[in-house]
Amino acid sequence: MFSYALRRLAYSIPVVLVGSFLLFWAVRVAFDPLGKLRQSPDPTVVEREITRLGLDRSIPEQYFLWLGGLFSGNWGISSRTGGEVLPMIGAAAWPTLQLIFWGVLIGSLIALAVGAYSAVKQYSVADYVFTAASYLGIALPAFWFGLLLIQVFGVWPVQSLGASEPPLFFVGLHSVGSSGLNWDYLRHLVLPVATLTITLVASWSRFGRASMLDALSSEYVRTARAKGVPRRQVVVRHALRNSLAPFITVVLLDAGVLFGGLVVTEQIFSIPGMGKLLLDSLLAGDAFVLLPWMLLVALAIVVFNLLADLSYAFLDPRVKLR
Amino acid sequence: MTSFAPPTRATTPRLRRLLLPAVAALAIGLSGCASSGTATESASGTGAAGGTLVIGAEQEPDCADWIATCAGNIWGSYTMRTPTLPSAFDTREVDGSWQLVASNLLAGEPTVEVRGDGKQVITYQINPEAVWSDGEPITGADFVYTGLEIRDGDDIFDKTGYALIESIEAPDEKTAVVTMSEEYGNWRVLFSGDYSLLPQHLLEGQDRAAIMKDGYDFSGGPWKIDAWTKGESVTLVPNENYWGEQPKLSQVTFQFITDTAAAFQALKSGQVQALYPTPQLDALSQIEAGVPNTNIEVDPASGNLEALWVNNEAAPFDSVAVRQALAFAIDRPAIVERLYGKLGVSEAQQSFLTPLNGDFASDEFSQYTLDLDKVDELMTGDGWAKNADGVWAKGDQVAEFRVTSHAGNKRRELTEQVLQAQLKDAGFSLTIANATGADIFSKLAPEGDFDLGLWTIIDTTPQPALAASFTQSAIPSAENGYSGINFVRTRIEGLDELLTTVERSVDPEVRREASLEAEKLIAEGIPGIPVATVPNILMTSERIGGPVAINPSEGPFWNLEEWTIG
Repeated sequence: MFSYALRRLAYSIPVVLVGSFLLFWAVRVAFDPLGKLRQSPDPTVVEREITRLGLDRSIPEQYFLWLGGLFSGNWGISSRTGGEVLPMIGAAAWPTLQLIFWGVLIGSLIALAVGAYSAVKQYSVADYVFTAASYLGIALPAFWFGLLLIQVFGVWPVQSLGASEPPLFFVGLHSVGSSGLNWDYLRHLVLPVATLTITLVASWSRFGRASMLDALSSEYVRTARAKGVPRRQVVVRHALRNSLAPFITVVLLDAGVLFGGLVVTEQIFSIPGMGKLLLDSLLAGDAFVLLPWMLLVALAIVVFNLLADLSYAFLDPRVKLR
Repeated sequence: MTSFAPPTRATTPRLRRLLLPAVAALAIGLSGCASSGTATESASGTGAAGGTLVIGAEQEPDCADWIATCAGNIWGSYTMRTPTLPSAFDTREVDGSWQLVASNLLAGEPTVEVRGDGKQVITYQINPEAVWSDGEPITGADFVYTGLEIRDGDDIFDKTGYALIESIEAPDEKTAVVTMSEEYGNWRVLFSGDYSLLPQHLLEGQDRAAIMKDGYDFSGGPWKIDAWTKGESVTLVPNENYWGEQPKLSQVTFQFITDTAAAFQALKSGQVQALYPTPQLDALSQIEAGVPNTNIEVDPASGNLEALWVNNEAAPFDSVAVRQALAFAIDRPAIVERLYGKLGVSEAQQSFLTPLNGDFASDEFSQYTLDLDKVDELMTGDGWAKNADGVWAKGDQVAEFRVTSHAGNKRRELTEQVLQAQLKDAGFSLTIANATGADIFSKLAPEGDFDLGLWTIIDTTPQPALAASFTQSAIPSAENGYSGINFVRTRIEGLDELLTTVERSVDPEVRREASLEAEKLIAEGIPGIPVATVPNILMTSERIGGPVAINPSEGPFWNLEEWTIG
């Protein structure tokens, strides 16, 4: 499996390189890294930056300069902040990874439970209720649901019940002066994670249900039942375990996409993560942040794809990786 | 100083907030607790010394090296520069108008002398008590360091005025003498307005950008920066060595909340106690819906002017008659009412000088009110006739043109839609051709690739600066590397001389007379049409005591040291 992983990563390198060049070309064409500077009344500032950043060279030359910088740890300077890009992205990645961790952990557990229960109780009232709820969850716009949660758990208790402070906070992942995994963190975490997980649970539970139904209708389950294995054991040990592989694959694939896809959630809850960095950089035309941002997101998708494949092989012994 | 603002605060350099008519708050009718105010009114809250305050901030400054190109963001001034660094002049309301008055950094008003050779000498006497937070005195050497860093430095955002500095000397510890190469009427903006004084003893010979970019630990103001957590907040604590009035609060935090709806919810839930929202339509809707237990001040006396910029070289606007007809075709009060009626604001702006520079302004544009008969008269007089579609035509030319503004700015998009309808009634065909802020100000406007533009001009100090917008030397072209911001490419005879006098003369009365003359020429030549001043809105919890009031140049937090929380 280890050699398989290495081979997969090696295969990904040319894909990422070609993709990164196309990305570089697209970003350089679409964004002017000096857009903000051009508003300076001093035209020499722009001329100097063009020379310093090598913007007067050809796109391929600029690409290799940029790529060389990435490998040497020089990720460039943000045209928006004047700061180094590497620490900016590092700082943004951490809150996003926290959201993804909690969202995926909680979302997958709930989705798995809901999906399995719906499958076992197929066509029951509970199944219909969960099905309806999942369609609703998929359709819910994150910004609307997030603001609804803020209204219910943040504003209403203070405005209508006279609470001195809201039971759940919704600005950032910590109060000012607080840090670490503590009560304050949990009070900040609940609403953004709930906003994130509602959609995940909705879609994953549908997949979990389908996967579980497949497993329940398979021959090994029928055999187990015929052999008189207790129902609970059949469901948990045989069907559920075997439905896990495709379920986790989907979860991991989605997790990779989430790395750059939490724009709305991070915006609503003022969380300075990758999504918010994307938005700020797009608005400012900050090409030197956008480039590594997109590359990292692409890499995250590649890595999570690989993890999905590996997990599949790990969970389903019938699958051989070559 | 004047600059142009892309449409959203997030992308705006030197973005200045709006202030608006005090009457407006009455119309808000929101929570039953709205209060209107001027810069001298107090909020209702009271409180004892101490306590912490959290303020919702719409924007995070990109960097804190205030003289560098990365620092062109007004929220940087609100959150860190103004509270922590001393300036030679403050913007204050005197006898009903905004003026630059000597701050407590100085021992008094500087002396200004224009010598026989035309050079201007400004002598600053520094307050003997003025010290930096480390106890070192603020000296003439700090003026020397700051002035030369701006004049001679790389990566400086704006050298206007400083480029005219011939020399700066510090004959003794508490004196600074600045010699300008020529007369410069706006000299009060030096070491003031968008810039503040920097500590020479800590920065000279050092990498200033590296020391200041991400925040700094020195202060020469009532507050010092305790922490700047990127993406989250800036926290200020009192500077115990400040020589002026000590802050009453023990800590102020600016929490960055860029989503308008979330910011209002944070105010309602008590997670923040003050907001200074841009009056975009979503913010106005939130205000209209009501914000309980909140004082709301609406001030129209802002430094932000939203205007329609007419490309004087683009047909059909290469004709003065067509530009005048355009002005008579637009019902500006109706637009203002549509945009800010919820705040009780409906007065159109009648000058390109903002209310912040009202002393230098006239109301010459008031002659242009909606008058379709006048449109017909002007257009037919210029050889135009309406075609079968009811649109003015002249030979092969049809009065069809584009309006360009910042895509995604709802307020401006609404303005464009109203304009479209109004101009159709007058026989003009308007299409909307919006673009990103970067495209507008780096390509379209400098290259003249627009017909009508809709964007904001911003005065950050009560010193008129229309020369940058309307003099011929400021027309961007290939020859000058597309520098200058006379994007409308206007050439009005006699205007350059008048605006130069306004900018350069040190005689206040001469400046004012020249400005009023210039106003007449601008209104006749119609290089653009002023539409509205964008109102400023300050929302504070009833727990906050003050005086709490908006300063159109320094923002709403100019006197944060006087605030209390109950």
